[in-house]
Amino acid sequence: MGFSFDYLFQGFAIALTWQNLFWALVGCFIGTLVGVLPGIGPVSGIAILLPLTTVLPPTSAIIMMAAIYYGAMYGGSTTAIVVNIPGEASSVPTAIDGYEMAKQGKAGPALAISAIGSFFAGTISVVALTLFAPMLAEFAVVFGPPEYFALMFMGLSLVISLSGRALLKGVISMALGLTAALIGQDPLTGAARLTFGTSTLNAGVDFISVIVGLFAISEVMINVEQRITAIDTMSISNWMPTWADIKQCIGTMIRATGVGFFLGLLPGCAPSVTTFVAYDLEKRVSKHPERFGHGAIEGVCAPEAANNATSTAGFIPLFSFGLPTAPSMAVMLGGLMMYGLQPGPMLFQTNPQFVWAVIASMYIGNVMLLILNLPLVGMWAKICRIPFYILGPIIVFCAMIGTYSIRFQGFDVWVMLLFGVIGYFMRKLGYPVAPMVLASVLAQMLETSMGQALLISQGSPLIFFTRPISAVFMVLAFLSIGRGIWAQVKAKAPEVVTDDAEY
Amino acid sequence: MKTQRVADIVVGCGVALFGVFILSASMFITGGAAHRLPPRTFPMVVGFLLLFCGIALAIKNWSLRGADLAIHWPDREGMRTILVTLVSLGCYIALMNPLGLPLATFFYLAFSIWYLKQSKWLIAIVIGLITALISHYLFIRLLGLSFPAGFLFE
Repeated sequence: MGFSFDYLFQGFAIALTWQNLFWALVGCFIGTLVGVLPGIGPVSGIAILLPLTTVLPPTSAIIMMAAIYYGAMYGGSTTAIVVNIPGEASSVPTAIDGYEMAKQGKAGPALAISAIGSFFAGTISVVALTLFAPMLAEFAVVFGPPEYFALMFMGLSLVISLSGRALLKGVISMALGLTAALIGQDPLTGAARLTFGTSTLNAGVDFISVIVGLFAISEVMINVEQRITAIDTMSISNWMPTWADIKQCIGTMIRATGVGFFLGLLPGCAPSVTTFVAYDLEKRVSKHPERFGHGAIEGVCAPEAANNATSTAGFIPLFSFGLPTAPSMAVMLGGLMMYGLQPGPMLFQTNPQFVWAVIASMYIGNVMLLILNLPLVGMWAKICRIPFYILGPIIVFCAMIGTYSIRFQGFDVWVMLLFGVIGYFMRKLGYPVAPMVLASVLAQMLETSMGQALLISQGSPLIFFTRPISAVFMVLAFLSIGRGIWAQVKAKAPEVVTDDAEY
Repeated sequence: MKTQRVADIVVGCGVALFGVFILSASMFITGGAAHRLPPRTFPMVVGFLLLFCGIALAIKNWSLRGADLAIHWPDREGMRTILVTLVSLGCYIALMNPLGLPLATFFYLAFSIWYLKQSKWLIAIVIGLITALISHYLFIRLLGLSFPAGFLFE
């Protein structure tokens, strides 16, 4: 597969036809709506709408599906910022600072910077996708199970940073998240674990139930207890971020785009991982890391930019190898195959017009998303001003719909309620919630890749240190853990001091 | 558990006990023993981690001296509101299958809004009704999601 301006211009010529522009706009709009609606993430959104696109020609249909996908990725941040419901794991880091900004009367700037960051990352990623796709696709295939394990292990070491000075509490929170994720069948052998003989627990605990409970339900409990009249009671002077805010976020956007894009090339490295990594990186490079968790605008911009960059990067292995890097990409793959298109190295030779038209439509789709969403910022932000006696029960309704629609089991909703209570006590007692979410998201990938790596090495853990890429990740993880423990011991700070922990 | 120190000691002990429970539960995990990574390995590691961290947290706070922080527990009224909120959510979940999503949603929203702002019973009924209709027409009819429709709409 090679880049050629001729092909790209041809792609633009196709993507800019009135018909394709219209379907891209429809896709962006529906995608944003799907992202904002509780319980319908990009995966179910594309899956539900896939049959409806059969009336369209293949190029228009895939352009529309791609637009639904990145529209939904953007829309998911809205509920995270406005009402603290991260419908996807990838929106959790956005909720940490976004919701704090909303409480301070800055929901508008938070939503706007989220749109701007998404636009920036999406556009830069499409340029990279256009120019460097063949080279980048090769980078993805050198990653084997040892490299994945090392990457996930490094991801888990982010707990150190997410815990602030309450390291022990952060590790306990992480261990509880791991425990929840271990319930059910072992991913490698299928053996039942921690199910205590009940068939309901065999299917495991879905992490969306954990996330929604920890964030949305516990938030409602806290607000009800404190008799909050509205999430945002401040007078709002500005719906948009200031130039100073945007300038402050330029470096953030560049770094988060890099992190999101390169990690997004790896199969299995979904936005749920890259957004945490980008958030953590931003906190580490910031001159004022103590602002994170208390409404730092970079804390909203970084995960949102990483989210969009990862979403776009996922198209490279999909087009180049037919390899879906995330569940939503697997649905896209199904859509391509439904139209008789076989993704893989030959796709660019057999259907160049189709591929380049889809890539060109991504440039246009990103602009459309920005134009669509910036004027709507004020409308979404006003949700925060709805009286809490109305908004609170509606948040619970949304959380219930979102959790039930994952597997259509009442059990998941009970789990959400349980984790809502756990989240309430964690907040009261000063335990950071983010490590629990991170652990519940990473646990299965961590265990599966470790099992596969040990199978390759015939049981020798040295494999993680003898392969260069995994060795680098492992060393970085151990350095991060060592630094965290050293800082904790040196500071001799009590665990009660948790003002820089992320909730 | 009025102060942070006492709470951390109690929670630390609780976490350590939970770690022991996970450790003992992981002993009963069978199958896959010949595998390079037997299925009981991760639960055991997590059990040890909980046990160790729980003990460390309790000891660290036990030895702590100096000023302590108070935990802001809710007053009697706040506690009652939280309990009612949780019980009503529990009823909502339990009633969803027998009554269906729209009807259960109506009862939940109408009751919760009325309970949180007792003077606004008409608003409570109207919002409950609108949300119930949205839940039926958007999620069940239009999107075809498998929520229980209930006897009224079947």
